[in-house]
Amino acid sequence: MEIYKHEKSRAWFDRAAKVIPSGVYGHLGPAEGNFIPVSQWPLLGSRAQGAYFWDVDGNRYLDYMCAYGPNILGYNDPDVDAAAAEQAKIGNCFTSPSYKMVELAELMVDTVASADWAFFAKNGNDVTTAAIMCARAHTHKKKIIFVDGFYHGVAPWTQKVDYPGVIPEDVANNLYVPWNNIQALEEMIAANDGEIAAFISTPYMHGNYLDNVLPADGYWNKVRELCTKHGIVLIVDDVRAGFRLSTAGSDAYYGFEADLITFCKAIANGWNVSCLCGKEFIRDSMSALSYTGSYWMSAVPFAAGIANITKMRQLNLPAILREKAVKVCDTFRSAAANNGFKLVISGEPALFYLRVANDDSLFLHQEWVAACVSRGLFITSHHNHFLNYAVADEDIAFTGEVADEAFKVVAKNHPEVFDGGCA
Amino acid sequence: MDQKTLAYINMYAILGTLENLCELDPEARALLSNKKPLSLCFDVKGGPKGTLTFVDGKIRMLAGAHNCDIKIPVSSCEKFNAIIDGKATPIPVKGFSHINFLLKDFTALTDLLTKYLRASEEDLADPVFFARSTELMLYVISVAISQIGDYDEIGQFSAHLIPDGDVSFSIKNGPAATIHCKDHVLSTEKRRPLEPRAIMEFETLELARALFDGKVNALACIGNGSISMRGMINMIDNLNRILDRVALYLA
Repeated sequence: MEIYKHEKSRAWFDRAAKVIPSGVYGHLGPAEGNFIPVSQWPLLGSRAQGAYFWDVDGNRYLDYMCAYGPNILGYNDPDVDAAAAEQAKIGNCFTSPSYKMVELAELMVDTVASADWAFFAKNGNDVTTAAIMCARAHTHKKKIIFVDGFYHGVAPWTQKVDYPGVIPEDVANNLYVPWNNIQALEEMIAANDGEIAAFISTPYMHGNYLDNVLPADGYWNKVRELCTKHGIVLIVDDVRAGFRLSTAGSDAYYGFEADLITFCKAIANGWNVSCLCGKEFIRDSMSALSYTGSYWMSAVPFAAGIANITKMRQLNLPAILREKAVKVCDTFRSAAANNGFKLVISGEPALFYLRVANDDSLFLHQEWVAACVSRGLFITSHHNHFLNYAVADEDIAFTGEVADEAFKVVAKNHPEVFDGGCA
Repeated sequence: MDQKTLAYINMYAILGTLENLCELDPEARALLSNKKPLSLCFDVKGGPKGTLTFVDGKIRMLAGAHNCDIKIPVSSCEKFNAIIDGKATPIPVKGFSHINFLLKDFTALTDLLTKYLRASEEDLADPVFFARSTELMLYVISVAISQIGDYDEIGQFSAHLIPDGDVSFSIKNGPAATIHCKDHVLSTEKRRPLEPRAIMEFETLELARALFDGKVNALACIGNGSISMRGMINMIDNLNRILDRVALYLA
């Protein structure tokens, strides 16, 4: 199997580093993206189609990160892109917001089970921040309960006290409880009686660096009960998992109703729009916020979102993604087992999280991930993955071939673990 | 900046690096040659208590302040920090017969350490000096990380998120330190760990130096591969947040 080289990637990255802080920043960059070792990863891309993207060296990757979520139907889906192109011909960002915004809001309210209204922005962080402000405006309280291992964006309130640029006052009203722990939540509410505006959580624990954990039986119903009893706004951050578990929202998937629910990544198959949906009782508080943005009412992403959501509903896409994802996970499991590796796969199948567990340092895991990437299978070390509709059976077969060879390479490099090269 | 945390840094990261100074610098060793074994302790009220032993040309830093030849009680962390900064004078209550060592040899050692840690461009032009200075800085920083993780309020928050195990903090083909975490309490050993759970390694001595001096950006270095990280990245990620605070204390 060909081992990719990244000479042009390196050259482009060097150019980037001269004019962009850290070259490529954030989750798509080598630091936060955990490109270990960096030499085996593409740094800049050139194009994408279906389930694949190509880097600037011309290397092709079967992409299980899906741009970290936005790609849900396949890159350049013809239906979504046609709707976007059609809208682009007649107007995108102009002074009077396009009626497409109303159509998408109506579609969101019709699609998302807990939604009585919809509010649009651009990124997940925009709408998680809107949700927190809305909850505070509604309750006139300041404290927010988070779940350990959370990620809700990049605004100062979402970060931790030791992050660069964050001051203690930014996070002074943040409270933290462990995932799936009702007793801890009850104690936290009791200890801060009458001061809590909101409880914010992802629908299941899909934090980074750790195996992902589904909600325990009855967990969400109990959370719902506690929030209602104490007048706490229940916010579900569905930015990452939204539309991959259910088009009706992940709260509906787990059998409860959020007061506020946020979406972004998969709304428009890569066109930039995010959305906060809410219940009727909190609509006025949302109306009261001073909260807007230059591009938040652009029409092209709205048109793309309408086409994307319509297509996802027609396909019953979450069921298809689950079916494909189970096949992918089974393929990874078989490749691991055939080569003597303990591969832990956690989380929901359509957002599977991988961990090689033969050592407690993750050295072997990172070596295997790098070996996969440098052979054209784009996975990542410490983040959940994403399935998209364009992944076909032959792609899953390719997944198995690459995973198998990568396991063999790692085993050969570690005879001290794998008994002479292949256990 | 928390004065208690700074006092622990001054005790164990700064004075503690006298251990390595004597290993690396012949002039430092010569200051201690043919001298009787001696111990010097600082007893800082509300802060660290540490003893430096001087035996056979070697220096060791030990926790605690018992049975020493020269004892220097210090009334507060602020006062101790002022002593280390040269803005206050240490006054021993025990060991007046060794006052000559304190005034002459110990002062010469600390002056030499300062020369390495606050090095001039001229001195750094000498490759031998450059290598020693950078190695000593690695030890100062790696010990300071543990003190900040254990005593600084924000550092404690970072340490709270670090799982148990050893992190290797090293320069490729060069010196290394182990930052050990157990129940979110950090400690540093100035050696390479046998079984690290995570490794943060600088490609060259020059790169490490540039990073220590704030002349290059760590994230950019990860991007170009001159800093490599592997293993339990959440250990390194949180250590890096503490590392960010080292400059605040050592500036």
